[in-house]
Amino acid sequence: MATPYLCVEKLVKKFGPFTALGGVDLEVYPGEVHALLGDNGAGKSTLIKTLAGVHQPTSGQIYIEGNPVTFRSPRDASAAGIGTVYQDLALNQLMSVTRNFFMGRELKSSFGRLRMNEMNQIAHDEMLKIGIDFSDPTQTVGTMSGGQRQTLAIARAIYFGARVLILDEPTSALGQKQQMGVLKTIKRVRKRGDIAVIFITHNEIHSQLVADRYTFLALGQVIGAGTKESLAHDEIRRLMAGGAEMRDLEQELAEV
Amino acid sequence: MSDRSESDRLVKESRFERLIRRPEIGSFIVMIVIIVALAFASDFKAFNALGLKNNIAIIAQYGIIATGAAALMIAGEFDLSIGSMIGFAGMSMAMMLKWGLPFGLGEATPMSAFFLTLIMTLGIGWLIGTIVVRSGLSSFIVTLAFLFLMRGVTEVSFRVINKSTQISGLQDFKETSWFADILGGRVFGWFYDIWFALGGNLNRRGEQWVDGFDARFMWWLIIVGVAWFIMGRTQLGNWIYATGDDKEAARANGVPIDRVKVGLFMFTAFCATMFAACQVFDTNTSDAAKGNLMELFAIAIAVVGGTLMTGGFGSIIGVAFGAITVGLVANAVFFIPSIDGAWFRVFLGAILLAAVFANERIRKRITGGI
Repeated sequence: MATPYLCVEKLVKKFGPFTALGGVDLEVYPGEVHALLGDNGAGKSTLIKTLAGVHQPTSGQIYIEGNPVTFRSPRDASAAGIGTVYQDLALNQLMSVTRNFFMGRELKSSFGRLRMNEMNQIAHDEMLKIGIDFSDPTQTVGTMSGGQRQTLAIARAIYFGARVLILDEPTSALGQKQQMGVLKTIKRVRKRGDIAVIFITHNEIHSQLVADRYTFLALGQVIGAGTKESLAHDEIRRLMAGGAEMRDLEQELAEV
Repeated sequence: MSDRSESDRLVKESRFERLIRRPEIGSFIVMIVIIVALAFASDFKAFNALGLKNNIAIIAQYGIIATGAAALMIAGEFDLSIGSMIGFAGMSMAMMLKWGLPFGLGEATPMSAFFLTLIMTLGIGWLIGTIVVRSGLSSFIVTLAFLFLMRGVTEVSFRVINKSTQISGLQDFKETSWFADILGGRVFGWFYDIWFALGGNLNRRGEQWVDGFDARFMWWLIIVGVAWFIMGRTQLGNWIYATGDDKEAARANGVPIDRVKVGLFMFTAFCATMFAACQVFDTNTSDAAKGNLMELFAIAIAVVGGTLMTGGFGSIIGVAFGAITVGLVANAVFFIPSIDGAWFRVFLGAILLAAVFANERIRKRITGGI
């Protein structure tokens, strides 16, 4: 088995008296989609923010290609090849596709002048690679659909060297067709073979469509993990519900 | 499944559609209307040799501070201290020129007075910006505090050192100092020379009437040119727009939003200092009340020029058009004596309200109505 690109061991994160993560293990391999599932409050956000360098772990260790690393800031994580696409996508609506694509990492010549034509071309090409032909990169992001924005944010993360792409609920708040568009994008990224994707979702069907490997979180701990083959459908569904039996939930609902 | 994709629905716009989507289009049209209306209403006196010079003098004054205010508003902040900063800077320069440099450093020259003042005003701009970004308080309230603070300091300093809140009768430094001359003297004399050579620009005795524009015209053009280049063509400009549009998104992408904001507060302080310097060296006077209400004019012009109150959108060229519009109307009373000067404020209020609505429509259009 290949070595994981990113490996997390016994990660603990406490906020004062509150234990958000209670010893989480995670392995992420290039060319794979790793679905991270769990209910609200399970610790998914804390985990990805720790991986992205926003939070520092209380204890535990993160390894990149087998080497222990410490992220003091999002910039450290980004330099180590961890690209995070948050739910809000970190896009500026009033600005053009290109300006968003290169925001904070603009290509410039003397006097800080922007190399606008070159940047337009790259933004267009990179988005085409993962599936959308956006004819006019000078259009504002405000005119794009939710799925297109997601694609822009993903293309941007990949272009700027992401080896691990963390997607925070990329399919939520989208229509059916756009959700499928995002899943297609994820598949295309996977097909490249050199990028590991961490796909956070609430949606079991979406995870089954694209994921190779699963980790289930509940109350800050891993309650189940494994490859797609090793987990049965029912098992996935049970773990999705935080370990509770679906039958029990149905029972509870019926009693109300 | 059909071959149509989402991106097909977004058609490339025609040149005309792009033109009317530009942020400066509204202020451009209003400016043209005002220029034409004023030309006819004043029987073209507003644009004769002297009329043009006087109109451009006030336009440049408004334009200098509105450019600073607009750049800051695009980054999502306000500066209400511009007017008091003008008063402070003018007082500082005039007092140094009259009473000598502080700490017994001897006689002041126009250059030393200007640069010492600039160091102080940039320092205050830095302080205001730092307070805003560190505290997370609204810049509205922080700069309102500085509006009172600096006006008060200006008046007190005048009374303590000068015994009076005015300085007049300074020597005309323009005659002895090239530095004072480039701030308060005449520029673009060739324009009026050519006009004269072509048979115009004559006074009653048939001599050349006007010999140049006020120097602030040149400074306004320089400030607008540099600001336009930075905002539209450079990385810094990209950061300024990004900071005002969605600062968390900008921060997540590594834009140093705090430094951008502090820098822009210093830029408004710089613009206010230039305003004051041009005034002091032009008239050789200063007064504690100078620059009163200018912060509000600057913001109003920025909005008339198409700058969004919420940040992230606006155009330096649009603001220049706004300054021309407001400046012309402010001066209109001199060319059309039959109207009451207070109509200027009525006009400014009305056009401001119209601009806010228009800007909101533009914002909706560029974001696809979201």
